Amino acid sequence: MRKILLIIKREYLTRVRKKTFIITTLLFPILYLGLVFGTGYIAEKTRANLHVAIIDSSGYFTNALLEKQNIQDNSSLLTLVQLKPGEKEFNYDSSGFDAYLVIPPLDWQKGNSNIDLRAKKSYGPEATALVDAKLNRIWDEIKNDSLKIDAVKQQIMQTSRLGLHFINITDPKANAKFANAIGLACGFLIYFIILIYGSQVMMGVMEEKTNRIAEIIVSSVKPFQMMLGKIVGIALVALTQFLLWIAFIFIIYNITKVSGHSDSVNSLVGGIQQVMTSINIPMILFCFAFYFLAGFFFYSSIYGAVGSAVNEDVREAQSLSFPITMLVIISIVMMTAAISDPTGPIAFWGSIIPFSSPIVMMARIPYGVPGTVPWWQLGLSMALLIGGFIFTTWFAGKIYRTGILMYGKKPTWKELIKWAFRKS
Amino acid sequence: MAVLEIRNLKKYFATQKAVDDISLSIEEGMIYGLLGPNGAGKTTLIRMITGIFFPDEGEIFLDGKKFDPLNDTIHIGYMPEERGLYKKMKIGEQALYLAQLKGLSRSVAMEKIKEWFVKLEMQSWWNKKVEDLSKGMSQKLQFVITVLHNPKLIILDEPFSGLDPVNSNLIKDEIYKLARNGSTIIFSTHRMEQVEEICTNIALVNKGKKILDGTVKDIKQDFKENLFSIGAEQFPASMNGNAPFETVSIREQLSVVRIKDGNKPNDVLKYLIQQGATIHSFNEILPSLNDIFIRLVEGTPAAREFQNISTSPKS
Repeated sequence: MRKILLIIKREYLTRVRKKTFIITTLLFPILYLGLVFGTGYIAEKTRANLHVAIIDSSGYFTNALLEKQNIQDNSSLLTLVQLKPGEKEFNYDSSGFDAYLVIPPLDWQKGNSNIDLRAKKSYGPEATALVDAKLNRIWDEIKNDSLKIDAVKQQIMQTSRLGLHFINITDPKANAKFANAIGLACGFLIYFIILIYGSQVMMGVMEEKTNRIAEIIVSSVKPFQMMLGKIVGIALVALTQFLLWIAFIFIIYNITKVSGHSDSVNSLVGGIQQVMTSINIPMILFCFAFYFLAGFFFYSSIYGAVGSAVNEDVREAQSLSFPITMLVIISIVMMTAAISDPTGPIAFWGSIIPFSSPIVMMARIPYGVPGTVPWWQLGLSMALLIGGFIFTTWFAGKIYRTGILMYGKKPTWKELIKWAFRKS
Repeated sequence: MAVLEIRNLKKYFATQKAVDDISLSIEEGMIYGLLGPNGAGKTTLIRMITGIFFPDEGEIFLDGKKFDPLNDTIHIGYMPEERGLYKKMKIGEQALYLAQLKGLSRSVAMEKIKEWFVKLEMQSWWNKKVEDLSKGMSQKLQFVITVLHNPKLIILDEPFSGLDPVNSNLIKDEIYKLARNGSTIIFSTHRMEQVEEICTNIALVNKGKKILDGTVKDIKQDFKENLFSIGAEQFPASMNGNAPFETVSIREQLSVVRIKDGNKPNDVLKYLIQQGATIHSFNEILPSLNDIFIRLVEGTPAAREFQNISTSPKS
């Protein structure tokens, strides 16, 4: 036991002290935020603000109406133009417009669903949707005027609505909207952890084998202790990184809460508070810790076995670990299906079968326990996963014991399985 | 009492009888040479003694007690042929880690490392990494790591490969010292001149079986061919039928003769003196271990062929 602790300590410290650990710990959240906010920001910045000429044959549109909307919303600029006599096709681009549209003669009570926005090149759907929205706001004003609906009545029409809100009777805290986002985030995190840290286990074992230090260590400790020490050490590294991220989030959240008074900060803080109160945080944290650790043990022990079986060639390791990586990828595909239908058959089976349960179950849990995920399903899934990782660790330990001292040709999976089930 | 006793040890792999019924007994303080051609089963035998492999059959006794791989590793120091260290780890930390894995406490390990580092002039290495060391330097480090915990039994697989003569002698002296202080050393190598120089006893292994063991002296006696070199003037050019020897070669004043069965060296001298030869040297020629090795092992294919072993292939 003391020896396993020594191995864990070494595996942990050598990794946490590395510069790459510090860099990735800092960089990952920044990259992640950059990905989420950056793409939104870039989309916002690069969206075309269309300058559209309106040729009105209906007589409803006036310069005053357009002017009023242009001031309220500058995402596009609408300008009324007159066709010169004899001009068939409007030459919009020479007049400085991006596109033009022709309002045909129409009846305000009926409207017209076929108005074409014309341009020589294509614009994104967002840009045209904004023009559409603006045009319809103008049309609303025209209708209001014609129906003699004053500002007070308009206010009533706008604000008086029936809101529909879904309540899960067994778990009133479950909120589908947040559950979706949180489930997706949890599932992807476990996916990343398994792939990134699983391959770290594999590379670590390969390093020991090709350095030939394995032979010195197995003359002091059992190969199984050596493998277990490595896996636990690396799991602790992953856990440390994860806790650091949670600490970052907590600090950033508190800083923005204290310092921020702008609308966007307030809405963000409010949003996080709403998320916190609308889902079962302790339950999700507990399950996340469980599925993260159990899933990691399940996969990393097999990755370790693969590392022990191959030589220094990274390509050998890749081809031998491909079936395992495939299982992780299948899990993430099942998760995306489970998230849109958290009680369907894919969600159910995916969250029960050990290889996919760490990812799929974690995507279902935010929808509510025991509402969406009954207690028996959660219990069964956990029990099977524990059984699963005990089996894979045992299986991998057998392969590891043979592989770590075996040099030469890369074995096939068939041979690996033979090593595992051979009597000792 | 025997420090290490091996009885009828067997280890079969799927295609090979790597170790096939080997028994050995090694006394305290011996420097024991384990010899054999490539693929003879030496490494497999050593791996069983160090607890890396479990034997299929047979028993190992350490200090008269049955070998327990889990608790006895502290008594064994093993330096494998393929050296292994973590390249990126600092040397001091690495030595400390491996010593603790052997079972030493941190403080004791620290003390021993410092002692050895001073002894072999390695103090300045502490914060260096293994990748910064030359081959010979990492060899020295590997040796220190092997003997650090003061093991009763030290197993060295080709310990001098890659070392210059100065460092070779340094390590050799340390090996002698360790043996004098009661450690037993098993020394596996192909370099016969080193074996002759260092070892007191040897065992020769071929095709998984022990084909020879004993003290170096006895073995040489057993394999001697009654050859003598004689330095003499007026060495008789031709011999009559009752000469007690036959001449193997004559080169200037040095002749090599083989004594005929039933005669003694004195008979040779007597005969030569009678013939009027002036003798100024007379030496027995003992076979070198190298010759014995080649004679015994000759005919073995360079690599052992793969055989199918149908009788209970266990691992």
